[in-house]
Amino acid sequence: MNESEARSLLEIADDELILGWRDSEWTGIAPLLEEDVAFSSIAQNEIGHARALYELVAGEQGTTADELAFDRAPEEYRCTRLVELRLLDWEKTIARHYLYEQADAARLEQLKQSDDAEIAGLAAKIDREEAYHRMHAQMWFDRLKDEPRFTAALDELRPLLDAGRDEHSPELAELWVEMTMVRRSQPAGTAW
Amino acid sequence: MTEREQSFLEYVQSGGQVEATDWMPDDYRAKLIKFIEMHGNSELMGVLPEREWILRAPTLQRKLALTAKVQDEVGHSQLIYRVVEDLGKPREQCLDDLISGKAKFHNVFHYPTKTWGDVGVIAWLVDAAAIISQKALLKCSYAPYARIMKKICWEESFHILHGRDVVLTLMNGTDAQRELVQEAVDRWWGPLMQFHGNPIAKDEDPMYVWRIKSQGNEEARQQFLDGYVPQIWELGLTVPDADLRKNDDGVWEYTEPDWDELRSVVTGHGPKSQDRLDLRRKARESSAWVRQVVLAEAA
Repeated sequence: MNESEARSLLEIADDELILGWRDSEWTGIAPLLEEDVAFSSIAQNEIGHARALYELVAGEQGTTADELAFDRAPEEYRCTRLVELRLLDWEKTIARHYLYEQADAARLEQLKQSDDAEIAGLAAKIDREEAYHRMHAQMWFDRLKDEPRFTAALDELRPLLDAGRDEHSPELAELWVEMTMVRRSQPAGTAW
Repeated sequence: MTEREQSFLEYVQSGGQVEATDWMPDDYRAKLIKFIEMHGNSELMGVLPEREWILRAPTLQRKLALTAKVQDEVGHSQLIYRVVEDLGKPREQCLDDLISGKAKFHNVFHYPTKTWGDVGVIAWLVDAAAIISQKALLKCSYAPYARIMKKICWEESFHILHGRDVVLTLMNGTDAQRELVQEAVDRWWGPLMQFHGNPIAKDEDPMYVWRIKSQGNEEARQQFLDGYVPQIWELGLTVPDADLRKNDDGVWEYTEPDWDELRSVVTGHGPKSQDRLDLRRKARESSAWVRQVVLAEAA
């Protein structure tokens, strides 16, 4: 794995981690119990993917998946602003879900062609689960496509797909404070 | 009681089970709905104390386990509301009655979660108390409810393992981590002792008379104490009850739980009752349009 490969794996891992964290915020308060269960599953998948990708990179860098996920400063994360936003409006959550899954599919397709068998294998494995996320996103897209609030959300969020990864929204720093709060309460290396 | 009702009562008391399509007395149906609906409400409200910690889980593994656990609870409420629906009360009506305060949910879900120690203690001890009640429902006279309890008990037993693992890790950690657990046990002990309800004689408990429950409240509490107090002590934790001990006849003695607190808490006067109902109310109001879209599509 060269440096640029490690960098692109980290980008995907950070996207999946932060989106997984955001999606998990729906647990317990989604519009339908069925969606509560669905979004929770999606969140678990995304975090599972993040963990597998971090493990690959961590193996190369002599660190651990947890250290990569939690022990960097917010500005060191390589995720897109699209996944950082706290969107507890269903139309915006679904718009992000739809946009993200499309972009993620294209990226995974490339990764599946990697010369590194480990990377290609992991990408294929991740893609098998993402296929269900895409079906879920498509189902909701079809349901909401005529709702003005949904089309407005798509228009608002679409530009973020190309917004780059060097600048982060303030919401990432807020999320980071919360997601590392318990972990930071004890000295580094403490088991949880 | 009519002759038909009397023979129904004898049937369930001799271990007979009833299906959704069978004839049943109105009183039995009403008791079933009340009991099962409260169970569904409790699973759903039980999500809220723990969901606050999903964002703060300190490792990827804990995050996955906690999210999966909370997801299980929502899944249980969905299953349970379906059983209530078959008995004649739609889910939407259950949810409306829950947020209006008309329907109740279990006492332990009216309290705040203050530290990561609570996450371990809830999954270990609150779920342990719950599984004792739920295992007794495997013999419920209403067969559809008894059947879903198999899946629920199986999943709850994983929650207990997860909770015990969180607690064990903390107990093997730093002094501050051990204090988190002890402080959580101290706070949760009162609600845990109230959990199985007042020691009403089981033959006077209508839920037992109809064999909706298969054991009495005190029986359940004794089982909880017998199963978990030795484990709590073994980990080096203490229980905040100086009078707690097991007598030679095998019966646990304890300080009388605060039944006034239980009554006040389950009628919506617990420290977090109104906050949690408000959160559920707001979530329900702001997503009403989504349900309308889905319903329109189904029509």
